[in-house]
Amino acid sequence: MRRLSMAVAVVSLVLAACGQPAEVGTSAAPSATVAATASPTPGGTAIVAIWQFPATLAAHYANQTVTTIVNNGVLEGLAATATDGSYYPVLATEVPTLANGGAKVTADGKKLDVTWKLKSGIKWSDGTPLTSADIKYTWEIWMKDPKVNNRTGFSEIESIDLPNETTAVVHYKSIYAPYVGNFFWLMPKNLLEKEADISKTDYIRRPLGTGPFKVSEFKTDESITLEKNPNYRESGKPYLDKVIFKSVPSSQVGLAQLKAGEVHAMWNLTEAQTPEVEKESSLALLVVQGPTVERIEMNTALNQENTDPNSVHPVLGDIEMRKALLYATPKQQIIDKLLFGKAKPGSSPVSQGWAAYKEPQEGYDPKKANDVLDKAGWVKGSDGIRSKNGVRASLTYATTTGDQLRERVQQVLVDEWKAIGVEVKIQNQPSSVLLSGSCTGKDPRKLGTFDLLMYASTPEIDPHGTILPRYHSKQIPTAADCSGQNYTRFKNPEADKAIEEAGSTIDLEKRKAAYAKVMKALNDAYVIIWMYDRANIDARVTGLQGFQGNTWQRFTWNIQDWWLKK
Amino acid sequence: MGRYILRRLLQALPLLFAISIASFAILKATPGGPLAAYEGNPSFTDADRLRLEHAFGLDRPLPVQYLSWLGSFLTGDWGYGFASHQPVLMLIGERLPNTLLLMGTVFVVVLLFAIPIGVTTALKQYSVYDHAVTGATFTFLSTPTFWLGLLLIILFGLQLRWLPLGGVSTPGAPFDVVDRLRHLILPVATISLVQLGSHVRYLRASMLETIGQDYMRTARAKGLAERVVVLRHALKNAAIPLVTVVALDVPELFVGALVTEQIFGWPGMGRLFLDAAFRSDYPVLQGILAVSSTLIVLANLLADVAYGYLDPRIRYS
Repeated sequence: MRRLSMAVAVVSLVLAACGQPAEVGTSAAPSATVAATASPTPGGTAIVAIWQFPATLAAHYANQTVTTIVNNGVLEGLAATATDGSYYPVLATEVPTLANGGAKVTADGKKLDVTWKLKSGIKWSDGTPLTSADIKYTWEIWMKDPKVNNRTGFSEIESIDLPNETTAVVHYKSIYAPYVGNFFWLMPKNLLEKEADISKTDYIRRPLGTGPFKVSEFKTDESITLEKNPNYRESGKPYLDKVIFKSVPSSQVGLAQLKAGEVHAMWNLTEAQTPEVEKESSLALLVVQGPTVERIEMNTALNQENTDPNSVHPVLGDIEMRKALLYATPKQQIIDKLLFGKAKPGSSPVSQGWAAYKEPQEGYDPKKANDVLDKAGWVKGSDGIRSKNGVRASLTYATTTGDQLRERVQQVLVDEWKAIGVEVKIQNQPSSVLLSGSCTGKDPRKLGTFDLLMYASTPEIDPHGTILPRYHSKQIPTAADCSGQNYTRFKNPEADKAIEEAGSTIDLEKRKAAYAKVMKALNDAYVIIWMYDRANIDARVTGLQGFQGNTWQRFTWNIQDWWLKK
Repeated sequence: MGRYILRRLLQALPLLFAISIASFAILKATPGGPLAAYEGNPSFTDADRLRLEHAFGLDRPLPVQYLSWLGSFLTGDWGYGFASHQPVLMLIGERLPNTLLLMGTVFVVVLLFAIPIGVTTALKQYSVYDHAVTGATFTFLSTPTFWLGLLLIILFGLQLRWLPLGGVSTPGAPFDVVDRLRHLILPVATISLVQLGSHVRYLRASMLETIGQDYMRTARAKGLAERVVVLRHALKNAAIPLVTVVALDVPELFVGALVTEQIFGWPGMGRLFLDAAFRSDYPVLQGILAVSSTLIVLANLLADVAYGYLDPRIRYS
């Protein structure tokens, strides 16, 4: 499943060759606009509130979002993702593509060679030079260390040649499309190669990078202090002398400290907190549309453990029932009232990037919902709840416990759906169970033990990794093979064909059309209500300048451009 | 006495063994597991899961996992935290000073206030003072710490801006005793007020019982000063229930305060435990549970030994 087909790969190469990297230009480009609008003054210490604390900062072990927030100031890679989904070079001179000859399909048409050239004169923050050997080492350690988070991309590499100090030729075993994303964080060979077990070294908390800052102090659950990297490649940057990431017990306290002026910026606000920020003239929000989509998935098979994919749910097996639930879902009202307008109504699993599908689902119309159910033979009983052939329209509705927003959304929908004669009982579980993604962990989506389940998912930049495992009929998890993620048990031969097509054509437009076909089929089957496309929301005091949004990266991605107004 | 203590210590060994098995079993029975944190990542594959399960030793049979943990634990190797990849002993070592500072201060503050208040309310039973104290103690006793803590934060941190909102010190600033103390006030007040409520109630009740005893009248008949009667004869006997309660506070010096540390962002043992619990970080949890259960057993023993000193009628056999 991980291994994308050759065609998918080539298309991405074409995509990468389409010129986006050139548009983004050199590494200085993303910040150029900032420099143009205001003249930054160097110096000062910015304090950023974080309400989670990184367990480790080591590049290859990290699996928390907050680690990325901190490491954005410390670690760098060969390239990174711009807000439009294209790539721009960071430590490399350019992003290798088919067009510029950096990426080449081998003569037999089965493999891929990618040549990366490093910018000259770059040093690690300890002063040792960055060389192409570090690229190779990064791959080696990722493959060797048994405790790495995941090996996506690295496991597709066959070997790496180092023709000189600044050039690395990466030989992929197959035509691996998302090769640019492979080296987002580099690891230092000289420092680490003699270590038998990196998890026992200082690197865990003070990773060595080439970024604008280096870690000068790591006080567990208290604060992480970053100090200017004197060897940073861009002269005059970073503007700030220091950045302190300060642990706060919750985002409410973080917001309180922001208002009190104790911190300059804070990570991750809920939509409900935004009005509080907006009414303070000394504060500003950064709202960036992210790729995350909140959805309600409907189980079309029987709600029982290791459900038979071909069984039919007594209530949700009826497409008219699923339609009615969608018609009785006031998305816009929920967004306006509960999310304070800081989200957009959802329409598909892929809301951002080149394959985004934005054809909206039918809007809120409770009368239509009632009509549909009346016509389908669901008759209201004395208690106002419908039934058909002795089956009562009664469903369970699960989401993660302790999430205020989701709980409020549930309350709204339970009332709305009751009004059309469908009884819905809330049955929430901790996210560690509900979204464990494992059959042994009793994930109800894997087992099929749910009726309605609300959660969010974030697709990768290339949509194949989302569309294939989630909507192909062969990806329905079963007792025998639990790996698939087709949780609604959606089966459509046309969609299957389109998914396979998308994986076997080199034409970008065809590929996009095939995905659109799948997402249309999905919406025509009414198995998922796309609630809303969520935004990433961060906040700052207005005195902290240089903040810029990026759909695919976290808000500290351009921390070298931040500066404090005196 | 020495033989009694030795016997109790030997009895404690199978008990601690049973506790460690039970806590291990409960941890393993909790759904989710240490790899749940990785699942949100779309790049995390089944192969990654198997590899990490093997790296963390989670693919071995449960009895083997338990015995290998026990073996290394007893020889001083407490293993590595799954999430942080750091030695458990080091993780505990980082948090313990903060927790000792917080809970030690609470311990002292509570005793300083509980004893005089408990004694005086009993002596002035049904007075206005007694009613006021009873009302206050019941109020604090029945106040959840998470609510009281937030209330204090809102009042003194947000409204009045007198005290910091959380943490142990101002980040980036050099060490400063005043700064430390300012950070200490609210969390100490939160825990102390609740504990004070219970301790005062215990002491008041047992003082009232003791005051009515025959030997009190005898002591007074002998012409002893009222101060001696109250402190030597009444308080010493009345303190027995309090000693049990206080002895059970001792393990808290190590364990910390789960809720309060969370609310105030106090980087102590309680937060370490809670974070580890959310992540199913077994080595960290088992290390903390083993130490805290040992401390509870020892604290009980300490309380029993103290009874003998306080009340000569108690004999050990």
